[in-house]
Amino acid sequence: MKKLVALLLAVMFVLPAVALAGTVKLGFINSITGPEAPIGENLTNGVTLAIEDLKAKGIDVDLIKEDDTGKPDKSLAAFEKLATRDNVVGIVGPYTSATANADAKLAERYKVPLIVPAASKEEITRQGFKWTFRVSGTTGDYAGVLLDLATTLGKPKTMAILNENTDFGVSGAKSAKEIAQKKGIKVVFEEAYSKGSPDYRSTLAKLKATNPDLVFMVSYVADAILLMRQSREIGLSPMAFLGAGAGFSVAQFAKEKEISNGVFSSTQWTEEAPWAGSKVLFKRYVKQFGKPPTYHAACAYESMMIMGQAAAAAGGDREKTREALTTGKWNGILGEVRFQDYDGYQNQRKAVMLVEQVQNGKHETVWPLKDAVKKPIWPFPGWKK
Amino acid sequence: MIVFFQSLISGILIGGVYALIGIGLTIIFGVMRVINFAHGDILMIGMYLTYFLFTLFHIDPFVSIVITIPLMFLFGAFLQKVFINRALNALPQNQILLTIGIGLVMSNTVMLAFTSDYKILTTTYSSSSVEILGISVSEPLAVSFAITVAITAALYWFLYKTDMGQAIRATAQDREAAQLMGINVKRMSIIAFGIGSALAGTAGALISPTYYIFPQVGSVFTLKAFVITVLGGMGSIVGATLGGVLIGVAESVGGVYIGSGWKDVIVFVLFLLVLLFKPSGLLGTSKD
Amino acid sequence: MNMKTSTADIRGIATLPLLLTAAAIILLFLLPKFVTSTYALHIMILIFISVIMGSAWNILGGYTGQYSVGHAAYFGVGAYTTKILLQYRHIAPWYGVWAGVAAAVATGLVIGSICFRIRGPYFVLASIAVAEIFRVSALNLPGLTNGAEGILITEVPPFKIGNTVITDFMSKVPFYYIGLVIAIAVILATRLVQNSKLGYYFQAIREDQDAAHSLGINLTLYKNAALAISAVFTSLAGSLYGLYVGFIDPGTVLDLGLSVQIVMTCIIGGIGTILGPMIGAVVLVPFSEALRSNMIAQALIDSGLVKEDSPLGTFLKEQLSHAHVLIYGILLVVVILFMPDGILGFIRKLFASKRKETA
Repeated sequence: MKKLVALLLAVMFVLPAVALAGTVKLGFINSITGPEAPIGENLTNGVTLAIEDLKAKGIDVDLIKEDDTGKPDKSLAAFEKLATRDNVVGIVGPYTSATANADAKLAERYKVPLIVPAASKEEITRQGFKWTFRVSGTTGDYAGVLLDLATTLGKPKTMAILNENTDFGVSGAKSAKEIAQKKGIKVVFEEAYSKGSPDYRSTLAKLKATNPDLVFMVSYVADAILLMRQSREIGLSPMAFLGAGAGFSVAQFAKEKEISNGVFSSTQWTEEAPWAGSKVLFKRYVKQFGKPPTYHAACAYESMMIMGQAAAAAGGDREKTREALTTGKWNGILGEVRFQDYDGYQNQRKAVMLVEQVQNGKHETVWPLKDAVKKPIWPFPGWKK
Repeated sequence: MIVFFQSLISGILIGGVYALIGIGLTIIFGVMRVINFAHGDILMIGMYLTYFLFTLFHIDPFVSIVITIPLMFLFGAFLQKVFINRALNALPQNQILLTIGIGLVMSNTVMLAFTSDYKILTTTYSSSSVEILGISVSEPLAVSFAITVAITAALYWFLYKTDMGQAIRATAQDREAAQLMGINVKRMSIIAFGIGSALAGTAGALISPTYYIFPQVGSVFTLKAFVITVLGGMGSIVGATLGGVLIGVAESVGGVYIGSGWKDVIVFVLFLLVLLFKPSGLLGTSKD
Repeated sequence: MNMKTSTADIRGIATLPLLLTAAAIILLFLLPKFVTSTYALHIMILIFISVIMGSAWNILGGYTGQYSVGHAAYFGVGAYTTKILLQYRHIAPWYGVWAGVAAAVATGLVIGSICFRIRGPYFVLASIAVAEIFRVSALNLPGLTNGAEGILITEVPPFKIGNTVITDFMSKVPFYYIGLVIAIAVILATRLVQNSKLGYYFQAIREDQDAAHSLGINLTLYKNAALAISAVFTSLAGSLYGLYVGFIDPGTVLDLGLSVQIVMTCIIGGIGTILGPMIGAVVLVPFSEALRSNMIAQALIDSGLVKEDSPLGTFLKEQLSHAHVLIYGILLVVVILFMPDGILGFIRKLFASKRKETA
């Protein structure tokens, strides 16, 4: 199996850099502790796998890991340390949108290539920066694919948006609203809730009173489960529940099948993703870390693979690494990755998004239809009593 | 109108659990005059205890409180004996910082031991509800509300009808006088902290089936506990009961009509108003 | 007995501390000339900000005895005012900072007039409640504060006098000097307060409010005065932080954790003393940074004390960085139980008992 992986990776490898391979010093910033740590763990593990695979290709990475606890100021300090004290060639990370947005500015100042693996706030790659590259899709991508699905399968007219009041939640909700309006769906309810409240029933009751066709939610896993539980309690049953990645695409959410069945969530990668190596990586991850990976792991894996190869090919030169990232093309578990300028973005990967639906306590890829493993169930079948 | 009653009902039910947290804090404050900033973290320990009793031994959360209560009592007594007792005569701000420190140690030890993953305790009834007149009532919350009422009643009986309860109340009223009357004040403090912790732990157990568990969950409840206690009058058990329900309702109804983001502001403004105009709390005797 | 001898000692060598202070200040001013590591400067700037916050709190908490655990409010108001003006009104920060100070003082007086009626532990709780109201409001007023998304500025406009550019804020050096100057100013202010009539009033309030009141000291006036001075410097620290770090959001500049950290700096160093907050900052900032970036574990391994592949080595490497808040908590508990007067008080006591032994 391992040989197969190595072979696969060798085939994927398109830069003619194998000969130049040696040790490269790279940095990795992540929410290792703090409230975002549960998802952060996926990124760390993804990077760990990437380092192994880089090694198999003859690229030894001297990786320096930094914890930013999910806070921008800590993340800036970490970036600063990596850029000036450790003199890394390039940095992968950080996880959250707020921290990534802050670090992008330092990448520009210190001229250190930065690959943002999983943060989706649109603004990060819309500031004319030359040193920040993003593998992750944007909040617009998340909302877009879900609404594509909704408008293809049904004729929704109204939508309610419920999001956590954080950088991630607010930017997700903004994009959703924009795209909904473009598609002629009226947004009838918008509310940002503060995270960690044990009782969302009253908010959901108010939402239910507006009788929306679609309920669009942006939350992390704990709130995702809570919101769905309480939706069931009060009998909220729209045409579809749409979750913008994050909490809705975690296995823990799917396992709560009483409340998660039928919920759609957009994602960047799944086990069944139509790209070479996805299944292999999924299995390897489960074997090594004892739990299934989220798309974050795949994004972090791919980001580190790209950074490792580009940095090694550039012989550890930051400027050359940046050039390699700007012009290069990679083929891996996220399909073809190129960093492009489009729609006001710079160095942004055009992400191919997938939609999963929880069916029988498992996430099944249901969209786009040509890559679907199972047929989407539409509309929401209602709650079992 | 349905929306109003819906939020009122869920507010009252959640308020029951809040009351339990508040009563625990108020007993601790009453007896020791120590503001316990680790209260939410003690609740968090109760949640983890419940979680593991459920996942490892399949004990239902509502049943497991018979194990949680004595264990949390011992844990609280231990905290009091080892740490808080040493700082009884320290400045109040040092006591606050001490309990903040203890809270940090607790939440971060739990994080190292069990990672910061969210633990979700799913019972068969986690999202069950019954509908009464078009209003859905969460079954687990209704059960926990009933248990809260029972525990509060038992506590009243203990504090008003037993010798030890009388002694605790006497200590709360006047430490020096109680000591002169031959009451072992140190022992009462340990018992009071034990009871306070047991109540917080129970609240954690009761809320587990409908909430989620993570190491930092305590901070959400610590601040609420203060507001509840001050609202009801520091040291007043009836007050804390009432304060808990009031806060539950204020959050829930305010969340609907002002916006769920502003929930906490409503609570804190209420808190400041009480501090200003009735510093002894809604039901407190004005001693200061 | 001891007190007397030690004060006499200090008086006898009063010129020495003065010389030492002067030497330290000169050294600090020259430091960026020798130290080129931006990371070291970064740590120094964080220390300065911590000293400013701690000393500012000390005037209200340490000297006047009003233990506010809500100082994040002034820090946040300062940071937000400066940055909102810069970002949305294009007002240069050297004006914006003063607007921030004015806003913080105004906020302080409103808060003060409400909270100073409350005493003791209730005051602590009230100060927390007020700061939390600010935090939640900032989250829910995106029109003013950009809400949860925070405000990110990519650059501070160059500071010019006439047409000469004094600094373009591209490196850390200008922030270093600004931090240093404000830190010196707040320490100077503390010294002035300590030795002035105002300071005596403050301390009288700290010792016994009722007695102070019966002596004719206007409690509300002087408490608010202490708060105003405190708010000025806390706001400056906030503005400096906001401009230096570049990104602020309610969770960083208005957080309860920040308020606790401010108080902790003072408690660990020694409350109600000039040196206390400095010691606290110098101990806590590098310590928490070293823990966060796993430098301590790395150092233990590099020095050969712990083998990297031994179970302890892997444990330290994997876990110590996770444990930084835990160690913070333990430190807090230990300091309060065993050194209630902070590190400074502990050292003094140590010297005092030694002297006793030799005498």
